[in-house]
Amino acid sequence: SYRIATSQDKKDDKDSPKKNKGKERRDLDDLKKEVAMTEHKMSVEEVCRKYNTDCVQGLTHSKAQEILARDGPNALTPPPTTPEWVKFCRQLFGGFSILLWIGAILCFLAYGIQAGTEDDPSGDNLYLGIVLAAVVIITGCFSYYQEAKSSKIMESFKNMVPQQALVIREGEKMQVNAEEVVVGDLVEIKGGDRVPADLRIISAHGCKVDNSSLTGESEPQTRSPDCTHDNPLETRNITFFSTNCVEGTARGVVVATGDRTVMGRIATLASGLEVGKTPIAIEIEHFIQLITGVAVFLGVSFFILSLILGYTWLEAVIFLIGIIVANVPEGLLATVTVCLTLTAKRMARKNCLVKNLEAVETLGSTSTICSDKTGTLTQNRMTVAHMWFDNQIHEADTTEDQSGTSFDKSSHTWVALSHIAGLCNRAVFKGGQDNIPVLKRDVAGDASESALLKCIELSSGSVKLMRERNKKVAEIPFNSTNKYQLSIHETEDPNDNRYLLVMKGAPERILDRCSTILLQGKEQPLDEEMKEAFQNAYLELGGLGERVLGFCHYYLPEEQFPKGFAFDCDDVNFTTDNLCFVGLMSMIDPPRAAVPDAVGKCRSAGIKVIMVTGDHPITAKAIAKGVGIISEGNETVEDIAARLNIPVSQVNPRDAKACVIHGTDLKDFTSEQIDEILQNHTEIVFARTSPQQKLIIVEGCQRQVCSEGVELPGMGACSEPARATGRLIFDNLKKSIAYTLTSNIPEITPFLLFIMANIPLPLGTITILCIDLGTDMVPAISLAYEAAESDIMKRQPRNPRTDKLVNERLISMAYGQIGMIQALGGFFSYFVILAENGFLPGNLVGIRLNWDDRTVNDLEDSYGQQWTYEQRKVVEFTCHTAFFVSIVVVQWADLIICKTRRNSVFQQGMKNKILIFGLFEETALAAFLSYCPGMDVALRMYPLKPSWWFCAFPYSFLIFVYDEIRKLILRRNPGAWHWLESHRISEPSNHGVFNSTKLRAA
Amino acid sequence: MLSEGDILFSSLLSSPSLFWPPGLILLFYLVFYGFLAALFSFTMWVMLQTLNDEVPKYRDQIPSPGLMVFPKPVTALEYTFSRSDPTSYAGYIEDLKKFLKPYTLEEQKNLTVCPDGALFEQKGPVYVACQFPISLLQACSGMNDPDFGYSQGNPCILVKMNRIIGLKPEGVPRIDCVSKNEDIPNVAVYPHNGMIDLKYFPYYGKKLHVGYLQPLVAVQVSFAPNNTGKEVTVECKIDGSANLKSQDDRDKFLGRVMFKITARA
Repeated sequence: SYRIATSQDKKDDKDSPKKNKGKERRDLDDLKKEVAMTEHKMSVEEVCRKYNTDCVQGLTHSKAQEILARDGPNALTPPPTTPEWVKFCRQLFGGFSILLWIGAILCFLAYGIQAGTEDDPSGDNLYLGIVLAAVVIITGCFSYYQEAKSSKIMESFKNMVPQQALVIREGEKMQVNAEEVVVGDLVEIKGGDRVPADLRIISAHGCKVDNSSLTGESEPQTRSPDCTHDNPLETRNITFFSTNCVEGTARGVVVATGDRTVMGRIATLASGLEVGKTPIAIEIEHFIQLITGVAVFLGVSFFILSLILGYTWLEAVIFLIGIIVANVPEGLLATVTVCLTLTAKRMARKNCLVKNLEAVETLGSTSTICSDKTGTLTQNRMTVAHMWFDNQIHEADTTEDQSGTSFDKSSHTWVALSHIAGLCNRAVFKGGQDNIPVLKRDVAGDASESALLKCIELSSGSVKLMRERNKKVAEIPFNSTNKYQLSIHETEDPNDNRYLLVMKGAPERILDRCSTILLQGKEQPLDEEMKEAFQNAYLELGGLGERVLGFCHYYLPEEQFPKGFAFDCDDVNFTTDNLCFVGLMSMIDPPRAAVPDAVGKCRSAGIKVIMVTGDHPITAKAIAKGVGIISEGNETVEDIAARLNIPVSQVNPRDAKACVIHGTDLKDFTSEQIDEILQNHTEIVFARTSPQQKLIIVEGCQRQVCSEGVELPGMGACSEPARATGRLIFDNLKKSIAYTLTSNIPEITPFLLFIMANIPLPLGTITILCIDLGTDMVPAISLAYEAAESDIMKRQPRNPRTDKLVNERLISMAYGQIGMIQALGGFFSYFVILAENGFLPGNLVGIRLNWDDRTVNDLEDSYGQQWTYEQRKVVEFTCHTAFFVSIVVVQWADLIICKTRRNSVFQQGMKNKILIFGLFEETALAAFLSYCPGMDVALRMYPLKPSWWFCAFPYSFLIFVYDEIRKLILRRNPGAWHWLESHRISEPSNHGVFNSTKLRAA
Repeated sequence: MLSEGDILFSSLLSSPSLFWPPGLILLFYLVFYGFLAALFSFTMWVMLQTLNDEVPKYRDQIPSPGLMVFPKPVTALEYTFSRSDPTSYAGYIEDLKKFLKPYTLEEQKNLTVCPDGALFEQKGPVYVACQFPISLLQACSGMNDPDFGYSQGNPCILVKMNRIIGLKPEGVPRIDCVSKNEDIPNVAVYPHNGMIDLKYFPYYGKKLHVGYLQPLVAVQVSFAPNNTGKEVTVECKIDGSANLKSQDDRDKFLGRVMFKITARA
């Protein structure tokens, strides 16, 4: 299957000229309207003439050089890449990093000035500068490492390019680098080669190619010089760039190279669909801009203010550093990355395939899901359910001991049917499973053949023996063009020298090739009556949602095909018409147990689920109904017509909410028609679609004004639990960010009051870093482990326009409410410590000038005592430590309230062990920083008296109670008071214009 | 059943654009912050109730006093003056006079004469302050020389010990001052030997111990005429008491003080 997964930076293609984009656009449209190629319909001579070449001698060397110069090398244009060092620098200097760099540089500057002017400069600024620089460099390296991992995905396309090619030029065979192959070259391929370019075959010997990388068809396909189909993808005389030649040899003329090949255009298509950054990247950028804006605004205004207030330049610069450090959540980006990585790992454990980190959260903002039927909605484990022979529908017996409802197995028709099903079948049991029940054995082969194999093995005994008795002499494997599979066998009866031709395939195709039908062991002419009986049976079985196969056989007349006749399957030299129809067998692919529930949840969350399948429309519709994609009571145009007994054309299509679209109709639709279908129908099934048509569908969904994200999970990709996890990660990320941002207020306000009220500094820069990079980290990460609130999938999908990761409501909540309470808690501890040491609050305002003056060593407190500079600084740093500890204490409550958006913590419970660990960890870390000997020298943090730990407790308690009340109001009055919500609103939201899409196709 | 009014009200409530912002949000924040302010004031009030008016709750952050000099120099701890130019030292003299104002006989007449050489512990409820006869400072008392020696090139610097409530020095504390420059030896301290009498301890706090006077020590540096223009560094230290520290790596003013004097012609 082809997979498209690109992740490239929007910035990369900024400089590509507009003209180029227009051209790409046109190419895309070309490809979606099926591949425009005419060479397959031309004769070999015409093709040679078109490309000025000779179909024996090939091009001349000079001509080849000329064309190479004109067309460029035969290779896919690699996506524009950014040099590694630029990427690294972008990580190192982008976002918050630049703010922190400014902070660090200001620190060094301040230290430089101090060193130049003072005899004995304090190392504080130098120290802080080094710490800031280290923080930036470490987080930069971390992010770069993460990005480097995800950018490797694109590399897979490079591996598709063939290495060497055998070309014929001037009549000589020569090996050239595949990049030097040009249009018009005569190329020879043989089994094992990769096709170097799109070729028009001019001669072939038993050549088969594996087109799976292009069409998804896993069966090797024959290649011959004849045009067998109008569609270039289906015709036999074209081979495609970067597909594989499996066996045989072929010679062809190159008709397209490099990006102009079909594969090249699909690669372009994929990168064309990619619209920039992933939602999470956009969100984080938005968030960084917001925080940076606040930091710069506060920093600059207080810088100016402090100059106006008469502070020196140096002091103003130091304030600026403090405000920057307090405003930037240094640990947040690392937290986000860790959260995403953890979630991806958890999803992998749930057997959800997550290719890259961004996919985790894209799911959270999906509004339309285009789902492959096979393997995603269904188990991809077929079982034979029904059979139709002797003009009767029989239920298949799928019990191991054949004790279930049975039918007359002695019927000749059944014997013939079981022979066909067993013989015209390439599936085999894997070795060494003789003791395992048939139904549980592993089979090598595709799903429907395995089902047949198991059914026959159960009902008629060993298929292996049957195959040994009826030796296969020739075979035409199944392909999507003729939609049948046939094989020719010797008969069991040693006296019968005839060959038996057995065939199975799409019932209508099989019936077309039959002129008789086997009834009760007797061949009877296939009359109109029997054809109608066939149609009814076919519709009935198809209507059950089963995949129906038709079976027929034919004893080849001995006169024409004597023993030892050489059957040629490439150039069919035997009759494949006027066969004898034997019966139908139908198989079910049971829906996965969880699917109907998942679809229901998706629908109640406003996510539109579209089914895309290769099945017959009737089967597709039945399955869609079975899993709830078409819900009960909803009718298609055809249903309405049948109910009202009027022709389909008279039904107003607007009346039908559901619709089943045949894939072949799609390519004739204009994009407006597709849009109309997608808009007017809530329940859509696309049947008989090719992989290409899936792209058309996805593009159509992306055009939808009201859709925000389209996800096409390929085979075995993410299913419902993954999407719930996608929602969860977004929710939890919001919680982490809300938690981390809240502590910004108690970090900033000390500086503001310090400057404006001239009080001793309540919280220092080092302690701020201890919070952001120390105590806050584990609790913030632990929120990623938080279990979902019960309603997570019932909510509307995230609307990327209004549902920002960080919006004004979260800021108002974190900054305006909880943060303020936290700040008060911190200030309370600060005032308590100063007061208990002799500096009463009333004396503090305006004291700063003397307090921070090194020459004032007899500063008088409220009790008449006199303090030296160092003595009062120790008290000040003790206050910093206490403020820090208070933030830890109030962050306990913040962590608990951030666990839920609307539910009470009593409903949610405290089951998150990591979170409990986080609570203890941050407390232990705070105690360590305060009490560990040597901390007074290293970080200027001092031991606290036990009572000071409790200063912030009332505030911590207040946060908890306040938020519980807030949530109670929210639960009681859903909808109203929504500005009180910290997170997303739950009532139906208006659809915004989509802005991000992501495509992965399998 | 919802009445029409209810429906109208709830639609007003849930409509984000009509009613809520900015009016109600503003009101909400007003009430919210008002509540927070009240709560903060309340907790502060409770905290202040636990405090004693007379003595701070904790005194462990200042176990030992620092030293400080007067007059207070303009830049760091460097005194520069010219003996021939009275304006260059007028500021210092003014500062000294201001500082010594509480020590005048006039101001001290209500203070008690306490017994010398011993701690003067009191039980209250009334706490009396001991007299500090300014004459102890001899040449630096300002009584005989209103210029405190500056006009002669022998400037006086006062050294005082920080007040700490309840501090009881052990032994016989004195302030010892030495010149760091070998060739300028002449540093005199008053009272004799820089003695600090124990009778000024302990201190009972601003509120109880009204009129308390800290003991002072004066340092007089005599500049010989050939030393004019040279910078002299003087270090004063508490000595003779085990519980008064004068050596701390980080705190350069704990029990000691260092200053520089430059006297020009």
